[in-house]
Amino acid sequence: MNTPQIAVFARLAKENTVPVRALEGQRTMISRTMHSLAYDSVHDEIVVNSPLAQAILMFRGDANGEEPPLRVIQGPRTQIQGTDYDGNDKMAFDDVHGEIIIPVAGNKVLVFSRDANGDVEPIRVLSGPDTQIRGSVRGHPLVGVDPINNLLIVGSTGGQGGGRDEGEGGRGGGRGRGALVIFDRTANGNAKPKAVIQGPHTALGGVATIQTYPPKGWIIAGSAGGSIGAWSIHDSGDAPPRWRIPVQQITGVAPSGVALDPVHKELIIASGGRNVLLTFYWPEIFD
Amino acid sequence: MRAGTSKSRSGILAVAVTAIGILFLFAVERQESKITSESALGSPRLVSIEELPDLGDICVSQPTTRSSSMIAALQDNNLFSAFQEKRVYASSQEGGQTGDVTRLPVRTIRDTYPIYSSVAVDPLRDEVVLQDTNLFGIKVFNRLENTPSDAEAAKPKRVIQGPKTLNEYNNGLYIDPTTGNIHSVAMDTADSMIVFPGGANGDVAPIRKLNTPHRNFATAANEEKGEIYITIQYPPKVMVYRKDANGNDKPIRVLEGEHTKLYDTHGIVLDVKKNLMFVGTWGNASDYKVAGTGKFYPPSINVYPLDASGDTPPLRVIQGSKTQLDWAGGMSLDPDNGNLYVANDVGNSILVFHGTDQGNVAPARIIKGNKSGLSHPAGISVDTKNKEVWVSNMGNSSATCYSLTANGNAAPSRTIRSAPLGRTSVKFGKPQAVAYDSKREQYLVPN
Repeated sequence: MNTPQIAVFARLAKENTVPVRALEGQRTMISRTMHSLAYDSVHDEIVVNSPLAQAILMFRGDANGEEPPLRVIQGPRTQIQGTDYDGNDKMAFDDVHGEIIIPVAGNKVLVFSRDANGDVEPIRVLSGPDTQIRGSVRGHPLVGVDPINNLLIVGSTGGQGGGRDEGEGGRGGGRGRGALVIFDRTANGNAKPKAVIQGPHTALGGVATIQTYPPKGWIIAGSAGGSIGAWSIHDSGDAPPRWRIPVQQITGVAPSGVALDPVHKELIIASGGRNVLLTFYWPEIFD
Repeated sequence: MRAGTSKSRSGILAVAVTAIGILFLFAVERQESKITSESALGSPRLVSIEELPDLGDICVSQPTTRSSSMIAALQDNNLFSAFQEKRVYASSQEGGQTGDVTRLPVRTIRDTYPIYSSVAVDPLRDEVVLQDTNLFGIKVFNRLENTPSDAEAAKPKRVIQGPKTLNEYNNGLYIDPTTGNIHSVAMDTADSMIVFPGGANGDVAPIRKLNTPHRNFATAANEEKGEIYITIQYPPKVMVYRKDANGNDKPIRVLEGEHTKLYDTHGIVLDVKKNLMFVGTWGNASDYKVAGTGKFYPPSINVYPLDASGDTPPLRVIQGSKTQLDWAGGMSLDPDNGNLYVANDVGNSILVFHGTDQGNVAPARIIKGNKSGLSHPAGISVDTKNKEVWVSNMGNSSATCYSLTANGNAAPSRTIRSAPLGRTSVKFGKPQAVAYDSKREQYLVPN
């Protein structure tokens, strides 16, 4: 965007509440198109892509202002590759096992140790025809991780699953034709998925991040019509979401990113289309 | 109990639940405010308190779009959302039905004030035009507007805003000096340049819409040749179109390639007298076609021949620690002397370079300091007719004006302010994602 930033708000912030701090500036190495980021609660760090520079950055948890990252993963050995439309804009973080999971061009998912720094090789590369991972030509698949139930969830958006290259208007991909491809967390190489949630009733698509709530085995992802849906890790085939919050229908804005706050039983939604953050109370998935 | 089966019971219980809820809210508020003395409610009897969802603001400002209107309506109704405790039960996979959870959001974070990304002066109408990249509008003010310190905000003469305008994340701005036509470049979702006639007002359709690549940033024009330039951040390039290009018209030429040193391209300005093109970069580099090619370079201002195309290297580069470049945004040029004015966003400064500068050079002048009123200056426009330079400040919803010769901690000669004095902007710019910091109970929101 005009000025990238990682703005930090108090949980109870409201309309026109000023951020408590913001990470920004040349030395931070952040850039526009940060379409996912994570908080490492074990090591108190922020993990985020630098999408235009094929890099992953790790900052102190309370980083502020023009603060450089603690570590930078970047270079030829990393195999990190973006696309023209998305750069390398998506990731997920496993704070139990200390791993960064990043989808890249060519229908690959790379896994790095959070300790990695510089030009390092990924510790695992999930890729191949048996994986059923399909990114679109101009965008990446999505990733989520359940570190307790040991699952890696890949949101396939390309090919049959939809995506920008199929005339979706360049916004979010999927639109109800994607798939959630579920692997063992440590799947490597041309591994087959454990299950695939796909079909006309799944209504998958539309959001750039996948979250999980391991204690209850939920997968939280985008659903058609600007909704957020909850699927079970035990679902497969043409499974509709168990729950759905029709965010766009309720508020008029489409969701683009999600985060969970289990302590307060809340779902946090970012809407890139309209410069808004919304918080929903959603006790059902946490109880 | 499935969703929707208890509507009648809910209606009957509404009054009782509301009364209990209000008493409960009073108790929670008292707890959070650390009021320890006994109040009119009587002596404390609660033995435990469960936090309720925050109710949000009840009063909101006038909405400007359909979406914000709906959000504002939600804020008005949020008092009742707290009592929608009705549980929705999940379906089984075999059941094939989805439980819809239709509670309203308990909190909303947004900025109701403009965030000004770019500025330009219309010499015909003696007006200042500002790009509001938050509310997706173009606001037009009298050039001599100077918002008094006791006023909440300046009133624009005209506002181009609404669904017909196609404004979305509007950033780059160019005003045709002979017609006053407003050229507006969208930096994200809209992937286009739209053109409004000078004097346009309200929710009006643009007279032209040129479809462009994704990630536009700035624009500039060569009036002598009838050409308009648009920078593309990534994959980095400079597109040159006929000035009247429309629809899917192709560019006349494109500057791109590894020798151009265009790394995360931003501002652009033309020196038609000297046949030069100045392009700002932030240094974020990679070839998306090749894995592992990412690099970070220092920011720079690259100077090219005006008609450069293809993989043409810059003639010279202004780059290095002495330059103080820090996410430089818009650039503008004084054609009388070739001086280059740079809106240095995170540096909170205006840098003035000689048009002939090269290498690691310090700016000839720097406007910076607590008197300057600068707050994340992102756009800049030299008004040669009135010997002034205008700056749009993303950080405080204002535009500030200085003498062309201003230097140091200079106070602005005039300020157009569209938010209460001293207010800091949320500075949202397409917050696509969010993460939750469970340690500090904070939201991490990237633009």
